[in-house]
Amino acid sequence: MVVWSQIALAGIWGGLLAVERRAFLQAMFSRPLVAATGMGWILHDLPSGLFIGMVLELFHLGSANLGAALPENETLAATGTTAAAVALAGNTGGSTPAYWSLAIILFAGLGPAGRLADQYLEEYSGRLAAKAVASAEQGDLARAVRQNLWGMWPHFVVFGAATALCALIGFALAPFAASLPLRALRGLAWSYPAMASVAAAIAARGSHARKAALYAGVAAAAVVCAVALAPWISRVSLLGSPRP
Amino acid sequence: MRTTALEASSLDPSRDSTSLSRGVLLRVFLRSLLLQASWNPQGMQNLGLAYALFPALKQLYPDRRELVAAVRRHLTFFNTHPYVAAAILGGVLFHEQRIARGEEGPERVQAFKSALMGPLAALGDGFFWLSLKPAVGAFCALLVPVFQLLTGQASQGAWAAVVFLVLYNLVHFTFRWRMYRMGLALGDRLVEEVAKADLPKRGARLRAVAAASAGALAAWLAIVFGRNEEASWAPLLAGGCLIMGAVSYWLVAKRVSRYAVLYLAAGLAAVAGAFL
Repeated sequence: MVVWSQIALAGIWGGLLAVERRAFLQAMFSRPLVAATGMGWILHDLPSGLFIGMVLELFHLGSANLGAALPENETLAATGTTAAAVALAGNTGGSTPAYWSLAIILFAGLGPAGRLADQYLEEYSGRLAAKAVASAEQGDLARAVRQNLWGMWPHFVVFGAATALCALIGFALAPFAASLPLRALRGLAWSYPAMASVAAAIAARGSHARKAALYAGVAAAAVVCAVALAPWISRVSLLGSPRP
Repeated sequence: MRTTALEASSLDPSRDSTSLSRGVLLRVFLRSLLLQASWNPQGMQNLGLAYALFPALKQLYPDRRELVAAVRRHLTFFNTHPYVAAAILGGVLFHEQRIARGEEGPERVQAFKSALMGPLAALGDGFFWLSLKPAVGAFCALLVPVFQLLTGQASQGAWAAVVFLVLYNLVHFTFRWRMYRMGLALGDRLVEEVAKADLPKRGARLRAVAAASAGALAAWLAIVFGRNEEASWAPLLAGGCLIMGAVSYWLVAKRVSRYAVLYLAAGLAAVAGAFL
């Protein structure tokens, strides 16, 4: 069953974060760990948001907006994937690693798609800048500087709508996900920690440290030793049951 | 990054029309948070800069023609890191006050912006985008299992997101505000003060934190992966996942697409999960 209030909330949160990411503040509310966890909290499925956010934070750790170069839109990837996962889980009996994996596999490509949208929106801002210069030449200074604020609403509308669409797709996919055989669900459940581990390795590479491999290797060895010496650590249930 | 007597004088509310009030200075700072609202490929942050400076320029130039000229000189190309832009904004106000008093020509403020926006952008990109952000991101991702381990509840890991915002913004907003005040007080001399902060060295340390946190988390998640099967298979699965992580690192270093690596890992694990 489609819950329209969830779709609306997903759209509003996605739109606000798009504005925060690009136009206002840049206080990192739009980073995947925060954005997806917030989405999960708003839609009453914190585990989905948290664990999807963690993977996508690691996956996009090295991306940066340098000069005129546009990075992938990690915020849309995080909000869209989480919104879809929550919709999926809500209609199939609960939040599990299998559905987190399915959502990540299906929606991780939103990062490059968001970059294309960002490029398009830059052209719109270019037109605003030209209008501002023309207004300043005519002496209408208040209008000229006010053009700056008009650059924000397209981000809210475009990325808010895209996030809401992801939630809608999540609801539409729920019957398909519910009909997956147990073996496929088990395979998807195994995919989650594998993808998370690989995303963390990619993050080590994305850290830009000169001796990243050394630092990451030493830290990984320390964790393996800690678990070997104190096996109770690894027995603590972290991701819930890996089996669907 | 110490503040000076010069800074205090620039924030002094006992002023003439060519000195800016505290209220206007605060408005300019707050409006600078919208610096990138209309980022565009031609002028980049030009609209945001003019928008931020407008309240100050209005106070400094009661004459309409002078005001138009002042706004137009800030609608030219401008691009730097959005956080360190606060320093340039402060410096621009320092110069604009001098221009309004007739102590220097308008070309000085243009030269100031042109000289500083490139080097400060490189400094900001290197420290904030390529060091602080990855370090806080990886460290807080590592905190997700740590919080769960300490509390025994999966949802408690969400505090990692809160820690992320607090840690990052403590540095971010402190830096942004101090840079703004420094620009206001020192003008061109702010470069010396920024150099004293030694951001490249601090950035290198933060990048090491990012790499170590990511490595620790990769190992931890590989062990969690091993827990998919009980007893005899677990070490084998965890070891396989660790090797897959190392291979992924190598593949990404060889410029293989991150998406290809992620989907490969998902596919291999799904097949193993379905048939083992």
